[in-house]
Amino acid sequence: MVRLHQVTKHFPGRARPALKDVSFRVAPREFLFLNGPSGAGKTTLLRLLYGADFPTSGTVTVGKADLGRLSGRKLPRLRRRVGVIFQDFRLVPRRDVFENVALALRVAGGRGKSLVERVEKTLAMVELLDKADARADTLSGGEQQRVAVARALVGRPALLLADEPTGNLDPDNGRRVMQLLADFHARGATVMVATHDPGLLAQAGGARVLHLRDGRLEESP
Amino acid sequence: MSRRGARQGALYRAVRQMRENPWLTSVAVSTLTVALAIVGAYLTLVLNLDTAGRRLTTGAALMVVLHDDVSPSDGASLAREIIHWPQVVRARFVSRGEALARFRRQLGPHAGLLDGLGANPLPNAVEVELTPGIDGTETVVPRLAKLVQVAEVVTSRPWLNRLEQAMTVMGRLALAVGGLLFLGVVLLSTNTVRLAVYLRRDELEIMDLVGASTDYVRVPFVLEALLQALLAAGLASLLLWALLGLLGAPAELPLGVRLSEILRLPPQVPVVLAGVGALAGVLGGMLGVGRVLRNQVRR
Repeated sequence: MVRLHQVTKHFPGRARPALKDVSFRVAPREFLFLNGPSGAGKTTLLRLLYGADFPTSGTVTVGKADLGRLSGRKLPRLRRRVGVIFQDFRLVPRRDVFENVALALRVAGGRGKSLVERVEKTLAMVELLDKADARADTLSGGEQQRVAVARALVGRPALLLADEPTGNLDPDNGRRVMQLLADFHARGATVMVATHDPGLLAQAGGARVLHLRDGRLEESP
Repeated sequence: MSRRGARQGALYRAVRQMRENPWLTSVAVSTLTVALAIVGAYLTLVLNLDTAGRRLTTGAALMVVLHDDVSPSDGASLAREIIHWPQVVRARFVSRGEALARFRRQLGPHAGLLDGLGANPLPNAVEVELTPGIDGTETVVPRLAKLVQVAEVVTSRPWLNRLEQAMTVMGRLALAVGGLLFLGVVLLSTNTVRLAVYLRRDELEIMDLVGASTDYVRVPFVLEALLQALLAAGLASLLLWALLGLLGAPAELPLGVRLSEILRLPPQVPVVLAGVGALAGVLGGMLGVGRVLRNQVRR
């Protein structure tokens, strides 16, 4: 599903690379944790996977797409197949919950009864159907993160990326969000979670954990 | 289908964007209105001066003065003969009495000056209007001069030729100034769109994140700019119409041109303003959002 081969990422003005010779594979339907302290390169690595950044050298492949060679036109199509969840939720504050989730379908031309049904079904899954009409900025942090999860899941992506998804949540809401990711994984999706939280790793079960430190992979897959 | 399931096309999203930012919309429309009103005022002046100039240069360019012994009926039949000449569009006999009455009208409040004259000093004449674009100095004038009834052919053609040359130069200058004004409106529209994009940059980033195509992001901004420009064009036309109505006093300028003719809104101005506004809006929208998409959202 995901393959990184000798990926190095330099940012202008920084002496040290954010990522250095990182190589690993993630199999379809795998649940993988990307662990490391702040500044280790977790976010940079995830950004490479949804095309927000591009490697200075090496190759990043998601599905059959080599992101380094992907044209600007094809990038949006790839992003529709990759769900992304952020620590800071990234919702449109003035839109209601329904529209925030529906946005992921609308950009792909979704409309009509099927759009409404899919959004409502996803909102029911994250237990927010009763808040469908509420503006996003009126929700609690835990609710906002569940809206973000719903937005990432509504398009039924093959790959789900979560960058510190519980970082801004209390333990109870954190557990709820992780349970949603686990449920989605159980339905056949590939899930990658970046976290510095040892508590989350304790819940990992049999999931593989990759450790990043100073832009290097410490433990080979 | 429920309201939520309805397609949210680019026009729907453009109108929604405008409603969500009434302050920005009103600033954009009012600024564009003023800019387009300036373009409209300029256009009004150019079109009206051009019309007046054309009327001067293609008007009664020849005055054929008849001998004193030519009777009014002979003069009238001469006019009927001249009108069939290929270079002539109009030929009209003007009697001495009519010429004096016209002169009296032209003098206006100073018409009393003519009261001291013992007899009418003006001759019978034929006013000849040439086909637009025809000079006539070397063809019609010599032919008229050879007629036995004709004492003299008075032509303002050499002066009009100079006026035509000046109008050609002014026309080019007008085109250049018009181009600069259009560029100003485009830049204004571009910056308004950039401001709108800046205010919505977080939302655009999210749209980009969930896989919105460039067109999905761009088209509502272009439509928003277009709608604002069309609205501004309508308001600018109304503003001009009102202002010109106030300023267009019935005063007479030199060469028989009336001030009200210069300061009237030509019917094509609102149409041209709508076209200029639409074009500037589309160009401004494309430029404004394109730059931001390249810089902020895309790699």
